Amino acid sequence: MTVDQRHALTELVCRSCMTLDERAFGAYLELCDPAYRYRITAYSPEIRKEMTWLEHDKAGMQTLFTNLPRHNSDQSPLTRHVTVYTVTQDDANRRARVVSALQVFKTTLDGGETELYAVGKIEDDIALGDDGPKLLDRNVRLQTRMLGIGYHIPF
Amino acid sequence: MSRNSNEWKERPQFPQTHYVSTEIYTSEQIFREEQAKVFGKVWIIACHESELVNPYDFRTFNHPSGAPLIVIRGEDNTVRSFYNICPHRGNTLLYDPVGNAKRITCIFHAWSFNAKGDCIDISRAKQGYQDRYECKDAGLREVKTSIGYGGFVWVNVDDDCCSLQEYIGDAMGLLDENLNMPLEVFHYHKAVVDTNYKLWHDTNSEFYHDYMHYFNRITGMIQPGYFDRKYTGYPNGHASVGSMSIKYDAYEGSQARGVGWPGLAPGGWVLIDIFPGMTFNLRTSVLRMDTAIPLGPNKLLIEFRGLGLKSDTPEQRAERIRDHNTIWGPFGRNLHEDLLGVKGQGLAMREGTDSQWVIHGREENMTIHDEGGMRHFYAEWSRRMGRPASEPMHAAASTQAA
Repeated sequence: MTVDQRHALTELVCRSCMTLDERAFGAYLELCDPAYRYRITAYSPEIRKEMTWLEHDKAGMQTLFTNLPRHNSDQSPLTRHVTVYTVTQDDANRRARVVSALQVFKTTLDGGETELYAVGKIEDDIALGDDGPKLLDRNVRLQTRMLGIGYHIPF
Repeated sequence: MSRNSNEWKERPQFPQTHYVSTEIYTSEQIFREEQAKVFGKVWIIACHESELVNPYDFRTFNHPSGAPLIVIRGEDNTVRSFYNICPHRGNTLLYDPVGNAKRITCIFHAWSFNAKGDCIDISRAKQGYQDRYECKDAGLREVKTSIGYGGFVWVNVDDDCCSLQEYIGDAMGLLDENLNMPLEVFHYHKAVVDTNYKLWHDTNSEFYHDYMHYFNRITGMIQPGYFDRKYTGYPNGHASVGSMSIKYDAYEGSQARGVGWPGLAPGGWVLIDIFPGMTFNLRTSVLRMDTAIPLGPNKLLIEFRGLGLKSDTPEQRAERIRDHNTIWGPFGRNLHEDLLGVKGQGLAMREGTDSQWVIHGREENMTIHDEGGMRHFYAEWSRRMGRPASEPMHAAASTQAA
């Protein structure tokens, strides 16, 4: 893998966070392959089970974003901070796997106080097409399970 | 017309049963009394039997009366509960929320206990206590425990309490057919919200707030049968809400549902509120169970569980999980809105804001937008507390005057 290739993959992951931070949902979906699949998962030590808290394909994500203005939601902005840990490229299958650390911060609208809201990892499978890398499968693997009143926009 | 200070403080022009003073949500004194008079006397759900599959499996639970508990399945398969407090130096016995402990050994001085609460070893007992103190004096404090109504593990810290069956009475009748098979918890999360536990139970006791939920407006409120759902009150403050047929495909993105729930009509929805803070909510293919654990007058911990059938295939379970989390998960459409609502109440009613009254005055023949469910709750609350919810400090004032 060249430095440029790794840079492109890192930038894709970062752009996905920036677009969600900016609620630029169209721009976010442009980063995704048509076969995109998104999940938020966590392990519950209390019930000793894996949990899937959100699961959508690309069309489902589009619908989720479309429905957002129809719901009452916490409008506190989120800031997603990622650090790419590992990048593994599978040239034969034109795929890459990127594992990143994720921290999500929430900032109040009134006063601008920021708190750490969630930590976890993002596990991305990325399609390496002729028109550049696209998100193919994302698992937001949360360590944090207490999310207060919750949130309508995916991490 | 807006109101001035005096007008704002005037009692609502309703019977006293139809409004409450917001002091019941903010007073530290009332909260401490509730811990003793309400939570210290009633049956509370600590966990589900599927969380204690094998002998010696345990769960810890912070009881809303204040006591930390261990719930543990014994070698004889009986589930028992004890204070999670070492009788020696008061240390926490089991630190993890879940585990398997054939022998419960305090990390501090290695005193050990079995799953029946018996003390089975005091390290260097003879040398230290001679014959003055021994294992028979050092058993754990046992708490009454009963399993029922879908396999939930209920606890009651009052040694003189009535049985669980007497406490529930007929309140769970609407779910009789739906909970008579083994269930399994597949979802668990907690939320801490700056609000009062009664406000959360209110949200689970009235449907007028469906105006807050886009999902419920289009799948329920504008559909036939919605306004026919009725509240039924039961002794001890419990209440149920009858079913209707929800039109889930009215919400864009909803998927066709094939799994359903035994005994529940397609699109059905049954809700049962158990005093003082538990709600059975059966909808689509999922049973949701809320347990409210007040941490203070304006701080609430809620445990959320989602359950399916133990006999589920992986495909069925996956559909239940999707159904649950689309609406009720931490990223679900409705749960966030409900929690946003009670957080807003907590913000507006916190001590010192000059909030005065909460009105429960809607009367619609006990149908879905009637506020009779809350009136029923506060009648029981007032009885147990010895304080009318509309004038809660009256009893205290009388006592002080005397």
